Amino acid sequence: MEQIITEFYTKSLHIILESRSPYMSSRNFSGEQALSSPSSSTSSSSSVRPRDRWFNLALRECPAALENLDFWHQSNLEPMVVDVILVQRPLDWDPVNLSPKSELVRNLSSKERYPFCWSSDQEECGSEAKSEKIVERWVVQYDSRKVRDASSGSRRSSSNTLHNVYKKSILLLRSLYSTVRLLPAYKIFRDLNSSGQILTFSLAHRVSSFVEPFTRKEEAEFQRFGFTPVDTSSGRLCISVLYRSSISEVSSEPSTPMSPQFIPDYVGSPLADPLKKFPFLPVSHGSPSSLPFSRRHSWSFDHYKPSPPSVSFSPSPTHSEPHLSISNMNSRRFHPMSLPPHPPETSLVHKKNTSFDEYCPSPNFTPSPSPSPPIYIPGSHPSKSRNRSDCAPSSLLATKLANSPVLSSRQTLSPTPPIKITRSGSSKIDRGMGPTQTGATIDKLLTLGKDDSRRFSGVKLSSHGSPQISVSRSSSRSFPDDFDDEFPCPFDVEDVDVTEPGSRHESFDQQGPLSEPLEPGGLFPIRKSQDAAVGALVCMLKKAPPLRQDLSSSINSSDATRPEIWRNSNQESSQISEAPSGQHAASLSVASSSLVASKTTADALEELRGYKEMKNLLLSQGARSQSLANYASTS
Amino acid sequence: MNCEVCQLKELEVEHYEIREVLRCILHTIIFHRALGLVRPKDIDLELFEITYVQCGDLEVEKKIDEKIEQFISWVEKHPNKKSQICLSFYEVKNKQPSWFTNKIERLYWEQWYVNLNVAQLPKAHSNKSHHSKVVFDPGESASEERSVRRAALEASLRDVLFQIIKFVNEKKDHVPSISEGVIYFPYEITIPSSSDSAFGMDMIKRMLQTGHPTMLS
Repeated sequence: MEQIITEFYTKSLHIILESRSPYMSSRNFSGEQALSSPSSSTSSSSSVRPRDRWFNLALRECPAALENLDFWHQSNLEPMVVDVILVQRPLDWDPVNLSPKSELVRNLSSKERYPFCWSSDQEECGSEAKSEKIVERWVVQYDSRKVRDASSGSRRSSSNTLHNVYKKSILLLRSLYSTVRLLPAYKIFRDLNSSGQILTFSLAHRVSSFVEPFTRKEEAEFQRFGFTPVDTSSGRLCISVLYRSSISEVSSEPSTPMSPQFIPDYVGSPLADPLKKFPFLPVSHGSPSSLPFSRRHSWSFDHYKPSPPSVSFSPSPTHSEPHLSISNMNSRRFHPMSLPPHPPETSLVHKKNTSFDEYCPSPNFTPSPSPSPPIYIPGSHPSKSRNRSDCAPSSLLATKLANSPVLSSRQTLSPTPPIKITRSGSSKIDRGMGPTQTGATIDKLLTLGKDDSRRFSGVKLSSHGSPQISVSRSSSRSFPDDFDDEFPCPFDVEDVDVTEPGSRHESFDQQGPLSEPLEPGGLFPIRKSQDAAVGALVCMLKKAPPLRQDLSSSINSSDATRPEIWRNSNQESSQISEAPSGQHAASLSVASSSLVASKTTADALEELRGYKEMKNLLLSQGARSQSLANYASTS
Repeated sequence: MNCEVCQLKELEVEHYEIREVLRCILHTIIFHRALGLVRPKDIDLELFEITYVQCGDLEVEKKIDEKIEQFISWVEKHPNKKSQICLSFYEVKNKQPSWFTNKIERLYWEQWYVNLNVAQLPKAHSNKSHHSKVVFDPGESASEERSVRRAALEASLRDVLFQIIKFVNEKKDHVPSISEGVIYFPYEITIPSSSDSAFGMDMIKRMLQTGHPTMLS
């Protein structure tokens, strides 16, 4: 029985200190570990770093506890008081416990019962300019009171057997273990352990047998929690704690995130920070398909800085923050302004395709497409397959992009983020740049696109976030003239690869006037930039009205919204129509169907009409144009 | 030996919080009832600033997760309902065959009821709120409300954990003795079944199985 009690003390100290003495503070304890407390080692079975298994609670070694236990050669009758102190010091890494150590050494030999106090200056440490505050006081004691009454004693006789006592103390220590982690001081302990830098506060502890009780005033600040004592045949084992319920002085970095929060406009949703996205655009981590577009767009942008940029970049905003944008796009769907934390994985992007309800036809795209191309440069993975098909028409798309800034925006909106985005991006670029050589170095495009996209993305983003139609309008507004001029056809020459994604987009745009713009989002070749671009595109796409799928339907519905854009995007669309024909159709359909927003559809349709015309021109260039024609006819 | 019952405070949780909250509560209870040799494992919750302790046994973890999944699917089918999860500890006793024709009898000596009120996401539902369900006004205040709710839930969860600790502390006599080599007492987690009445039937069945204390030898 005695051993149980001794072990009980040991164990409880171990539990308390294990979660109250930060690792760093065990620096000064290494020397003390040599002194092994006999009690703690008796129970451990294995010899190699055994875990203390007393009370069926296998705990790791706790240097602090071991040290303290070494000095705890008290009889079981002495209460053990563990004070957990919050030490706030001005970067003076002076271990608080060093001084007490010397005292302990002095007293080590003596086993008397007189107070085994640590450093004399318990509370104040003025010389060191630290301020200590006891935040917790644990008291473990064994009241060797006689059993109060015979009746209870007899009744409890069975329960006071060793086995019972052991069982109950196990329960008690289990709850102690849980409680220690629920009290406020635990958070401080975690902060100290997790934070790498030197903080101005620290946790120290003091184990003593006798402490000055708190004054009444002080005690009022504490809350008490007492564990149910374990009755033994000759007394009771009690643990109680006085703790401060709130420790306000400690200004620690939040170690654990409070809760997953959506960071609205983190990526700079179009509404919030339209220009924000641009920086990412150049990143070219978009889908490969977007690459071509981006390039094209970039150089095209050179020419048409003012106008197309937005267009070509429209996808870029989405691209730039693929992750974010994706989430943005998602958010756009639901909240224009907020970025849902939804993991902006590219997978999401894809999902978006189907989930985008709001499909902002062109308006959104205008800005987006532009960004996408630049971003897309590197080979994006996601829409590789798509891109291939798009690549071919990329040239067309490039031109188309110029034509349909709106388209690109739409594209971005479409759910199939990466791919679509690239498309839109490329389409936009085309538009913006107009005829600029589609084959222009993508790099150029990228750079241009970036800048432009920035601008445009802002525009576009705004459109995405907010009423899609308005955005498209703005984008179209900004670009219309630019696009018209440019469009003439340099894009035709574009590199197929680059433009493919874009062209796809555009072709889509053209085919499904309304759907196109949106679709680009979905169809955007992922080239743009994998993450950022995709994101941007996705956003755009979301907003954009579904492009292809409902080419006919979308076109019809969204005519109203996109007249301007469509005109511009016609060029793009023509390009797009070519490229996408094969793949787009499928993707577009999916994207567009999901993304089609009533409003945008109308706009998209209108635009699409315009684009169709342009597209037709381009169509002639490619075999795919046939499909476009089909679309056109249907629309 | 009587069966101690503990009804935990009701928590209002959102759908995505169910898993974490349930894991926390169930593991905490089992940790306190796993009186065999354990290597405690500290787990931090992601959604809240709470650290709870697991008993470290993989079997337990698996079983709890399974039950939680079942519960979640049940909740999805029965939205807007208050639900209760019962974690019961029993002893297996071999009884002579009685009218129950059961040789093996389970003697439940402790039951914990976790009461949850699963709130629907504001977006998903707009109408019925005949429960004390938390219904947000969709819109701008949703996020604020959400964080307020979350803070309230964290405080409530802490309260529930303290409730568990207190109950564990206060009622110790009914805990059966620990056998060698057994880490945790046999337990059972019951989730509401397809209908409320069925759940009631389960309870009745269990009561019948448990039998009257005087019947036990």
